Amino acid sequence: MTTDALKREIVYDDRIVRAFIVASVAFAVVAMSVGVLLAVQLVFWQANFSTSWMAFGRLRPLHTNAAIFAFVGNMMFAGIYYSTQRLIKARMGSDGLSWVHFWTWQLAIVGAAVSLPLGLTQAKEYAELIWPLDILIAVSWVAFSVNFFWALAKRNEKNLYVSLWFYIATIVTIPVLFIVNNLQLPTSFVHSYPIYAGVQDALVQWWYGHNAVGFFLTTPILGIMYYFIPKACGRPVYSYRLSVVHFWALIFLYIWAGPHHLLFTALPDWAQSTGMLFSLILLAPSWGGMLNGLLTLRGAWDKLKTDPVLKFFVVALTFYGMSTFEGPLLSIKSVNSLAHYTDWIIGHVHGGTLGWNGFMAAGMFYWLVPRLFGTKLWSTQLADAHFWTGTFGILLYVVAMWISGINQGLYWRALDAEGFLLYPDFVEWLVSARFLYLMRMIGGTVYLLGFLAMAFNLIMTARAGKPVVSADRVVVRTGFAGPSTWELIRGWPVVLSLLVVVGTVLFGIASPLTQGAVAGFLASLVVAAILAIGLGKDNWHRLLEGRPLAFTILTVVAILIGGLAELIPSVIIRHEVPLTPQAAEAKATTPDSSAALIASGTTDGAGNAGGTGTPGGAPGSVEKAAAHAVVSAFTQQPYSPLELTGRDIYVREGCFNCHTQMIRPMRHETLRYGEYSRAEEFIYDHPFQWGSRRIGPDLHRTGGKYPSLWHYIHMRDPRATSPGSTMPSYRFLTDAAVDFDAISRKMEALRRLGVPYSESDIRTAAQTARSQALLLATDLAEQEIEIKTESELLAVIAYLQRLGRGPQPTALESAAALEGGN
Amino acid sequence: MAQHRKDELFDHEYDGIQEYDNRMPNWWLWLLYGTIIFSFLYWGIVHTFDRGTLPLEAYRAEVASAAAEQLARMEGMDISDESLILVSRIPDRVDAGSRIWVQNCVECHLADGSGSIGPNLTDRYWLHGGKPLQIYTTITNGVPEKGMVAWGESMSPSKIQDVTAFLISSIKGKQLPGKDPEGEPEEG
Repeated sequence: MTTDALKREIVYDDRIVRAFIVASVAFAVVAMSVGVLLAVQLVFWQANFSTSWMAFGRLRPLHTNAAIFAFVGNMMFAGIYYSTQRLIKARMGSDGLSWVHFWTWQLAIVGAAVSLPLGLTQAKEYAELIWPLDILIAVSWVAFSVNFFWALAKRNEKNLYVSLWFYIATIVTIPVLFIVNNLQLPTSFVHSYPIYAGVQDALVQWWYGHNAVGFFLTTPILGIMYYFIPKACGRPVYSYRLSVVHFWALIFLYIWAGPHHLLFTALPDWAQSTGMLFSLILLAPSWGGMLNGLLTLRGAWDKLKTDPVLKFFVVALTFYGMSTFEGPLLSIKSVNSLAHYTDWIIGHVHGGTLGWNGFMAAGMFYWLVPRLFGTKLWSTQLADAHFWTGTFGILLYVVAMWISGINQGLYWRALDAEGFLLYPDFVEWLVSARFLYLMRMIGGTVYLLGFLAMAFNLIMTARAGKPVVSADRVVVRTGFAGPSTWELIRGWPVVLSLLVVVGTVLFGIASPLTQGAVAGFLASLVVAAILAIGLGKDNWHRLLEGRPLAFTILTVVAILIGGLAELIPSVIIRHEVPLTPQAAEAKATTPDSSAALIASGTTDGAGNAGGTGTPGGAPGSVEKAAAHAVVSAFTQQPYSPLELTGRDIYVREGCFNCHTQMIRPMRHETLRYGEYSRAEEFIYDHPFQWGSRRIGPDLHRTGGKYPSLWHYIHMRDPRATSPGSTMPSYRFLTDAAVDFDAISRKMEALRRLGVPYSESDIRTAAQTARSQALLLATDLAEQEIEIKTESELLAVIAYLQRLGRGPQPTALESAAALEGGN
Repeated sequence: MAQHRKDELFDHEYDGIQEYDNRMPNWWLWLLYGTIIFSFLYWGIVHTFDRGTLPLEAYRAEVASAAAEQLARMEGMDISDESLILVSRIPDRVDAGSRIWVQNCVECHLADGSGSIGPNLTDRYWLHGGKPLQIYTTITNGVPEKGMVAWGESMSPSKIQDVTAFLISSIKGKQLPGKDPEGEPEEG
């Protein structure tokens, strides 16, 4: 074969690798510095500096996006560009595309760094960037993928090494997640509403959010691990078959696990259980990567003493193993009931990002930079110092968050001897967490210092050497023999796997009578599959590795199955909102009673459902709750123009970063916050604002709980009403003015998304909003508070007073009418 | 696979990286199989055969037992709005109340409570007060001049509590159209 082929010199493009490394290190410092600032803000609220753009709610998305997309993203691209070229013995598809990819990506990051502090956000976690930036990211990713697959097309190595499988999975999955979750209807150049609302929006978001962790922070880094660990330790990879099994299992299963972010919420039970079970099954495939990495180091453990690169890799793999154990653990419903919304989750994600991603990045940089500049690492001692400070920092951080998280969960659920809340005041927990928050702040700072030492070390290394041009003499190939793409795709492993998937779905939806039969069918399929693999002479998978197109198609199929299975049924419920039993009954009796209900004004009083926090001792709350259930279930009314404006401000300020709007069906939650949240209450919420974490209390049933004066004082000086609170002051909202004339355009957009605003609602929006603001201003004026009707603070108060209940008066006359009706 | 040898190298390398084809650790395989088998069992038991406790069912049980405990603590105290609300949170007692309702009340008030001989009990208007204790008293003493039986003469206080519990949890506030409003509207 080789005799008739040409040997030619292939020059690798390492300039692009160096560029991505510089970007990654620089943005890592930014991301971590913002992280440290946020940690300081949680201990010392003064660090919010009474500005809008430095407030926690606006900066936290900057921290997460910078860490994920700027730091890990650029690191991933550096690793992929370096290793891919060498694994396929070819230069990237096009240098031009490489630089288009590089610069569009950096531009999007700069755009994020400007837009997020300005409050321009979609308010969906890790998908906060506004739509023009989304388009820029999409362009960047297209450049990257075309470049990558173009390179594969001109490869001089027939088979794809395991790293490339993981890169392919990343490249094809990210666009699917990104596009589906970012489908938005723009209302201006900087604002848009997601096409989904409520439960659907939540499910799509966490399908995306979970798999961003899976396919942005995990799969590409595993690919990098499979390249750099064997290179760094000079040992063969432990097990090829383990690579095959854990790769396919990981990418197929990961997609299903998203709903574990929504356990005990209004998401349907079947989806919750699916999320939990697939998370449990995901444990072994995740650990497959850790095992293959650690076992590859067999016989090289002595090098750990001297080589900082291997130290970082070993600790990174250990953190990976720990996080991927913790993930399934947290997905178990009973554990989740304690840990959800707490700092435990924060500890979990930092273990993954700082421990796994951060240390993989450091190991890779320490290995790469000396080679890219043709020299030795400037200081091994400094790298060692980085290793120890980094390990200490992350452990301090994670342990503090574990303790704080469990403490938080226990505080919330603690009941006294009479069965009521032991700590009815939310802020009691926050005060108790102060010391642990201080520890977290120190841990994060120490980790950042270690990273700065690395940056310095790398700069000195680069200065000591000069950029190297790297090349290989390779056998140039044109076309490879082997079965065709189609032959591979219809191979028996694919057919059997798909049958097993179909069998599993049938098992899931089978009736009690038929489930036994389906289980038998499924078991025989699995036995057949195992026998077939055992009998297979010619390894189908090795043939598949020689056909990137077939490999890519099957990867897409594997990742689409879980997504379609979970998202399609949920999109269908969009049209069939489940009713509460009483509501369904009432609706059956009186199909047209909704209009009558509104007309009679019952929503006002009945809407104030059991929000007092003491149902046992509050006579009347049950009847109210029952009435509320009936009314809200099928007379869910859209927000008034002013409430909508307030909601958009709530979204802009990132309130969801600390406040949830999802009361779980647990007695300690309903005692504290009021009746548990139901799916139908969110049908007009574009985007959903359930949140994922409680640094402050849940707000879903805040409406009517406090007088407007309380909100006015609290928003301007949270400590005046809640001593011990770490909430930033929102005094600046007082003088910020609402643009009343812009509201109708937003309502028009929402109407196109299915929110039932009438023509006249939209036409009179500005007028209605002004009148509702005047009503609130008058109420405050009676209590000697002067506030302008166009103040944004009034809009936010209007929204908060509407939360969890029916329509509120928008004018004096309707206020009188509603009161008279009672 | 039986003749598999440990640490056998593949005859291939990628940029100098070689691969063994070692067996997957047995404990790892069993972790994978075990979680899969567990998931099928969990789904079958909890979802197909409905033998587990889903979050909402667990919540209702939690509320019912908390109400029963609180009621026990109030043993010996007079029947009150509060105690009647607690009864209405205990499904067994509400069910008992619903049977009493079907046997004794539906002739005049109809099954859904919208009223025929007796008034509509689902609207916001009450002739003798709509608070739990007022309803309980009305049932016990009756309104002889209007034809409402004094059930306290034939039925135990606990049975009347049950039917009151059923009324406030399942009839009151449903706002069904039916017999025209009578009496005074209830506050908020």
